[in-house]
Amino acid sequence: MSRINLSRSPMSRRGFLGRMGGAGLLGLFGTSAWPAMAGTLELPFVNGRRDLATNFPQKAAMILQRTRPPLLETPFEVFDQGVFTPNDRFYVRWHLANIPTEVDPATFRLNIRGHVGQPIQLTLDELVRDFKPFEIAAVNQCSGNSRGFFNPRVPGGEWANGAMGNALWRGVRLKDVLDRAGVKAGALQVRFNGLDTGVVPQTPDFMKSLDIDHARDGEVMIAYAMNGALLPLLNGFPLRLVVPGWYATYWVKMLNDIEVLDKPDDNFWTSKAYLIPDTPFANIVPGQKDVKMVPINRMLPRSFFTNVHDGAVLKIGQTTIVRGIAFGGDTGLAKVLFSADSGSHWQEARLGADHGKYSFRQWEVPMRLSSSGPHKWMIKAVNSAGSAQPDHVNWNGAGFMRNVIESVSVQAA
Amino acid sequence: MNTSLRNFVLISAVPVLLGIALAAGLAWPRTVNSEPAAKEAVKGSAPKWAKVSVDLPVSQVAFPPGNGSVIANAYCLICHSAGMVLRQPPLTQDEWTVEINKMRNAFGAPLPADQVEALAKYLRSINGQSPKGPSAVDGQAS
Repeated sequence: MSRINLSRSPMSRRGFLGRMGGAGLLGLFGTSAWPAMAGTLELPFVNGRRDLATNFPQKAAMILQRTRPPLLETPFEVFDQGVFTPNDRFYVRWHLANIPTEVDPATFRLNIRGHVGQPIQLTLDELVRDFKPFEIAAVNQCSGNSRGFFNPRVPGGEWANGAMGNALWRGVRLKDVLDRAGVKAGALQVRFNGLDTGVVPQTPDFMKSLDIDHARDGEVMIAYAMNGALLPLLNGFPLRLVVPGWYATYWVKMLNDIEVLDKPDDNFWTSKAYLIPDTPFANIVPGQKDVKMVPINRMLPRSFFTNVHDGAVLKIGQTTIVRGIAFGGDTGLAKVLFSADSGSHWQEARLGADHGKYSFRQWEVPMRLSSSGPHKWMIKAVNSAGSAQPDHVNWNGAGFMRNVIESVSVQAA
Repeated sequence: MNTSLRNFVLISAVPVLLGIALAAGLAWPRTVNSEPAAKEAVKGSAPKWAKVSVDLPVSQVAFPPGNGSVIANAYCLICHSAGMVLRQPPLTQDEWTVEINKMRNAFGAPLPADQVEALAKYLRSINGQSPKGPSAVDGQAS
């Protein structure tokens, strides 16, 4: 693997945190999250060794979770480089292996059909030309992000924390496109399908649905660009649905078919897959049965350290700017709280630029350690609806929606 | 994953990945990153649509030899590469059975019913554990 670049990229988008770096960072990094040898790294759970892959199109080094269909995780150090995740480091998750490897914008069509006044077919040029552009910064997070940390472990994509990314999405409002076709009275849901299909005919085609009011809320959108560039093919070129504040399972890639339904969607992926316990934080006890299950939906608040790793050793008496990222989930951040003493006392972290309520936001706290420790540092996001990350780990059998308070153990020397 | 299995996978994967990296990785330019200047490529003007054609890497990793590996190589690899299985946490034979039946019933894997037990025993042998309490595996697809 000759093209792996483990060096940290230049950071031109670090905002007020940009003064960090240089000598202050040396010694901050522990060893656990860093490659054990060239081309591989060890994620901090059992069977966590992974290759770093550089052979996926339009992608730089990514953590290889599965080659076919691709599951590629963003290496966590990328999140320290700014609140927008570069397209060539943005995580990738496909369900079905028949993924078109060639898409021709000249012949691509987006269909809007079903319970509408007039079914329509749009070329990409028409989509761009005929509808008002819409932009929103939003976090796209896999329902199963962080599944590898579940205890007891559960099967699935064994991600660490990098099955998420934040982008500035540009495209058109779904509402405007639906209005062009004319949603008829009695519409209940809108179903989205992309160009990917299963390998065997018996595999259910990957489709997801949203309630009609959600689909028409003026925020759900059809994106043709992320971070100022067309989508990488593995992130859904030429179009993907963007559902701000909701887990990524709804953000259908290579979107080419929108069907308005006058009855609830009973397709496999909407009605039988991606279900969560209908409990706070989707939390149950392992083995618990007879719990009501509902489709996964709104995201929960989360926050992370990005420049201090578990096991880091800091210089005694020296002030370090500790920083990371946070997001509110389905609404904005109210505050990010930092604890230097295992959660006994909390202080508000300073927040970086606000790119909107669905975006990552940087936080920072100056810290000076006067004793060797170990010290347990914790970070907790609280969103504007008052939802805070829980002290206790949330657990469910599918490995969804982990959002426990993150912590790192640091020492000073 | 035990050490011998890990070594097998690494030994099998490295030359392949290297070859693909050289063949495919070099052929594709990196996309524009997310810096503000790049935004202007789309903002304020129509996107410059062009046909996109890529090669996706092909995994050459096979299941490690053992009693049942023929079944795994014949059926699991129809729909997904082996790495997904090899990177799972160790599961009990019953849990592997749940996973196999999920593939058959939810996704239509054409694995005959009379081979489920042999495949579950094999997966338990390469990446397994003994039961330690109630199973956490609920068999839901995602």
